[in-house]
Amino acid sequence: MSTPTTIILFGFTHSSIEIARQLQSKNHAFMLVDSDVSLLEKAHALGFELMIVDYTDDEVLQKLGIGTHVAFIFTLFEEDAKNVFLTLSARSLDPQLHIVAMTHTKDAIHKLEIAGANTILDPYQISGKKIYKLITQPEVMSIIDATVFGYHNITIEQLMIHERSPLNGLMMNDIYPIEHYNLLLVGIHDKELQKQFIFITEGHNHKLDAGDILVVIGEKEEIERYKKEVIY
Amino acid sequence: MNYFATRIIQFAYFIDSSKRYQHLKESTRKVLEYPNSKWKFYFDLFMVFLVVGSVLFLLYEVKHPEENPYLDGFIQFSLVVFILEYLSRFWIYSDSHKIILDYYQQSLENHIHFSSLKALGKIVRKKMDYVLSPLAIIDLLAILPSYRPLRFLRIFLLFRIFKLFRYAKSMKTFAAIISEKKFELFTLATFASFIIFAGSSAIYIFETHQNPKINTLYDAIYWAIVTMGTVGYGDIVPVTHEGMAVAMVLIILGIATLAFLTSIIVSSFQTKIAELKDDRIFTDIEKLENYILICGYGRVGEVVAKMLHDDDYPVVIIDIDPEKIKLALQRNYLGIVGDASKSKLLIKLGTSSHVSKIICVTNSDEMNVFITLTARSLSPNIEIIARVVKKQNKKKYLLAGANFAFSVDETIGLMGREYIDQPISYAALDEMLTENIGVLCESITIHPHSLFVHKTLVDIKLHEKHLLLFGVARKEKEPIEGLTSYPIEEKTFYFNPPLEFKIHSGDNLIVMGKKHFIAHLRKLSDQRSSL
Repeated sequence: MSTPTTIILFGFTHSSIEIARQLQSKNHAFMLVDSDVSLLEKAHALGFELMIVDYTDDEVLQKLGIGTHVAFIFTLFEEDAKNVFLTLSARSLDPQLHIVAMTHTKDAIHKLEIAGANTILDPYQISGKKIYKLITQPEVMSIIDATVFGYHNITIEQLMIHERSPLNGLMMNDIYPIEHYNLLLVGIHDKELQKQFIFITEGHNHKLDAGDILVVIGEKEEIERYKKEVIY
Repeated sequence: MNYFATRIIQFAYFIDSSKRYQHLKESTRKVLEYPNSKWKFYFDLFMVFLVVGSVLFLLYEVKHPEENPYLDGFIQFSLVVFILEYLSRFWIYSDSHKIILDYYQQSLENHIHFSSLKALGKIVRKKMDYVLSPLAIIDLLAILPSYRPLRFLRIFLLFRIFKLFRYAKSMKTFAAIISEKKFELFTLATFASFIIFAGSSAIYIFETHQNPKINTLYDAIYWAIVTMGTVGYGDIVPVTHEGMAVAMVLIILGIATLAFLTSIIVSSFQTKIAELKDDRIFTDIEKLENYILICGYGRVGEVVAKMLHDDDYPVVIIDIDPEKIKLALQRNYLGIVGDASKSKLLIKLGTSSHVSKIICVTNSDEMNVFITLTARSLSPNIEIIARVVKKQNKKKYLLAGANFAFSVDETIGLMGREYIDQPISYAALDEMLTENIGVLCESITIHPHSLFVHKTLVDIKLHEKHLLLFGVARKEKEPIEGLTSYPIEEKTFYFNPPLEFKIHSGDNLIVMGKKHFIAHLRKLSDQRSSL
């Protein structure tokens, strides 16, 4: 075995097919898992390899690598009960695991949170919000769709500040706005404040430490250049 | 053509071209006729007051025949109003000058002699239609008895109460219910009159000589109706065995008839009541301008409706499932049970005039595409946004004429990928898009008179205003060289433009920041530059 797969998609559904395609396009290795044998044919027809296992068995999950080398799992079943159960089993095996769970009802959101999912995808909520944005802010939507979500070159990226980075120990106001690079600094994820995201214009003059994460938007090459010349 | 006819035609042309006349007639119609006009509402209210007041005075007069100057004044005043109303309605019922002109046109085309008598006949016939309509007769009967020589018609003053039919919608509905069940009621009435006839004849035959109370056929009919109506005053009672038997049969048949009558009216009411509720909602909807129509109140519909409603957008919901509409109504939205793919319903909702956007979010692609097609065929300008259930159907939506069609699976695919690549920046973007941390990404349109036109980004000082400029979208084919730009639809998008970038009228600034900071900037931009 070469590098072990670190991403597992549970459930062979429309959403998982779509995520799988996107991951393929970015050359991420992943594993598709379901328990329904009848889906095998469809998966092959679409050119995917589908692993049929009984995911309710913890031993099977461990064999797949949960608790050892798996870093991300997606639970994408149509049934909320399956997603909740899988989230619970995975969380109990590995407290560090990133779990992205799909939900189809409002009630399940809270249950998935308790079960230990890191991110919850609610397709209805996402659709609703997207339509809302399309109506209230159509320009913003088309621009974000075109730039950040990929047809053009602009991406949003996170840059971790290392021990030896020249930015380590500087104040936020020293580095904002970023000069000489065509980049936008959107905000900072502070290590000490856990997952708190500080939006750049809120005016906190925050001290940058190793481990803090800068969120920037810009062209890919420009971000690479910035990364090379400033962050390291 | 004689002199008289020429003058009539000339006069008709004059009236036809007179703006003041048209305006006056239109205003009068607004007050008297147009169902949803504000003026009509106030006028109706005023008329109800007059009618009730004058009837109460009539009742007061029964015991106090002496003159009372205030009340007399009131009566005179209401009479004048009633007469004016009658004449105004008479006037606006038809456009006589149009009848003349139509007739004139006709006679010219067919080379017939224009006869002023015939024209007059046409006008009179049309006006007679009005005079003979039931409501107009009631109006007239409410006025006539006030004329002294016709005092004996005083009882007809009570007709003023019937005038209320004109002003109260619920009365009209009641009348509509009765007229809808005309056939059933007529059958029942025939049956009832047969029983009354048989019963009264029987009692008349059996008891005329035995019973001192029954002397005429009139007495017999009175007794039969009182008995059948289960009232039974007891002023006339049968004394013979035969008469008692007739009474027993009459009572039983009477109960049956009454039960039938009640059930007919109640069932009619029940079927009508749902329609009535919808009607009320339809009237509310008619008052809306540029509203957003949401087809399908599933989970997506719920989210969209709530967010739009919170932002004070006018929203109307259609769903085929009455349970869902019940839920929507409970949440204070306007909702209608119906099939949004029916053009009739969409026309009734004013798709081509009142609706600005249609959102198709039912749970089936067939339905959504069908609604899209229907809406597009009704209006070429309406904006249609559809949710694609199965990704492979997206093309069909665009073919059917949707402005935006998006599949949630696609978005989830992108989000999943972003999440693997950059878990935190994905979260930042997601939060910005979904506004969880209160930071929004919004577009500010620069109007021609905005304070910001011809200013540079240095002047605007966005940083001090706690905002981040993501970029500027401009309607421009040729992008400025040296700047990072992307063509997006018909616009050029400048990403993170430099500080010396000059703002033009019509630009869209895409800014990120807290809601109130964005609102502040928008307000600032909308201020006219002080010249």
